[in-house]
Amino acid sequence: MKKTTERIEMLAAEYVLGSLEGHARRRFERWMVDSAKVREEVWFWEQKLGQLSAKVPEVSPPSSVWSAIERRLWRHESPVGSAQSRANHRWFWPSWSVVATAAALVMAVVLIQPSPETSQTELSGAIVQADTSDPLWLVSEAGQSNLLKLRSVAASAAGTGKDYELWIVPENGQPLSLGVIPVGGVHEVTLTKQARAALSQSRTLAISLEPLGGSTTGEPSGPILHVAQLYEL
Amino acid sequence: MSQNDNSQDDLMRLLLAVAREDREAFQQLYHSVSSRMFGMCLKLAGQRDLAEEALQEAFIQIWHRSREYHMDRGMPLGWMMSIARYRTLDMMRSRKVRHNSGEEHLEHIADGREGPLDESLRSAGEAQLTGCLDELSDVQRDSILLSYYKGLTHDELAQVLNSPLGTVKSWIRRGLTALKRCLEP
Repeated sequence: MKKTTERIEMLAAEYVLGSLEGHARRRFERWMVDSAKVREEVWFWEQKLGQLSAKVPEVSPPSSVWSAIERRLWRHESPVGSAQSRANHRWFWPSWSVVATAAALVMAVVLIQPSPETSQTELSGAIVQADTSDPLWLVSEAGQSNLLKLRSVAASAAGTGKDYELWIVPENGQPLSLGVIPVGGVHEVTLTKQARAALSQSRTLAISLEPLGGSTTGEPSGPILHVAQLYEL
Repeated sequence: MSQNDNSQDDLMRLLLAVAREDREAFQQLYHSVSSRMFGMCLKLAGQRDLAEEALQEAFIQIWHRSREYHMDRGMPLGWMMSIARYRTLDMMRSRKVRHNSGEEHLEHIADGREGPLDESLRSAGEAQLTGCLDELSDVQRDSILLSYYKGLTHDELAQVLNSPLGTVKSWIRRGLTALKRCLEP
């Protein structure tokens, strides 16, 4: 379909209004990715029609909504292994070798080295890609706080509507989500005792490509892009 | 309208902090705007559980996309409200929430008094958009407001307004075209 000015104006208005639906809506979202002009037209309507929301009566949402948001964003810090996350056990993590084949283009190295200050070993290393000179992410752990830091170096954006999600792949059972990781800047993840134990044992991290905000199933739902096997110095 | 400059400045400050992954700011942001957003999601979805879920999804997106916000997208509140609206619409469509089966507004149609749009929303709509809705015919305006506030699809509008699909589509399109002409500087 040709992107005439008239058509862009009308579709943008109908997109914001909500009456554009189904396949046409998805197609228009692709137009938005491709064209600044289309996005600007959408923003125009968002601001104009948005005024209609101003007088809708406020309603306090139940406190369970905020709890659910916290749980989803920072679930690795909530009390370990909720009954619910164990209940949805339909996904099985393939063996390390299968995953490694699937992610063959990527070579990942993470090192474990003993910390001088503490008796615990500290993780550090990099997630690297074969054809890129800089590492995608640098990984380090800050001592006893069980803080895992990921500094993105050469990682490129996940793409529109996508996020990267970091996982610990345990020796047995479900991967543990460490949440969505941003591209740019430093991302910190606090490991629970359970997560730290699982990582020490399996020494495997993975990054999957997920819908925005991360997998909603509690398991990787998109392709596994990178797998990092840890080695001890 | 509580959308004064001060509160927008506060929201802007919070949003910038959220972009730096400040969780406390995120919680403050939630408490500042969640009632407004939930009111809108609830009006749109007409179902509490779906509205709650949409609000949750919206805030997950706001957390992850706060860095994408910039002034060209409008005021912070408007940007966040748009996210919540799209999430609600997506959920309504994916779960095939129907508005036209046995709901009270159909009775209003039958007795021809009030119409499917409650009066409070119609007058709220009229007060906004700098009077431009006045330039529309009644059916054009009502079709647009029903889509906006209730998330009705073309098919649902055709049923609720008891008119052929093509007619409803052209009401919306002509209404939006007239609105655009009026709103443009």
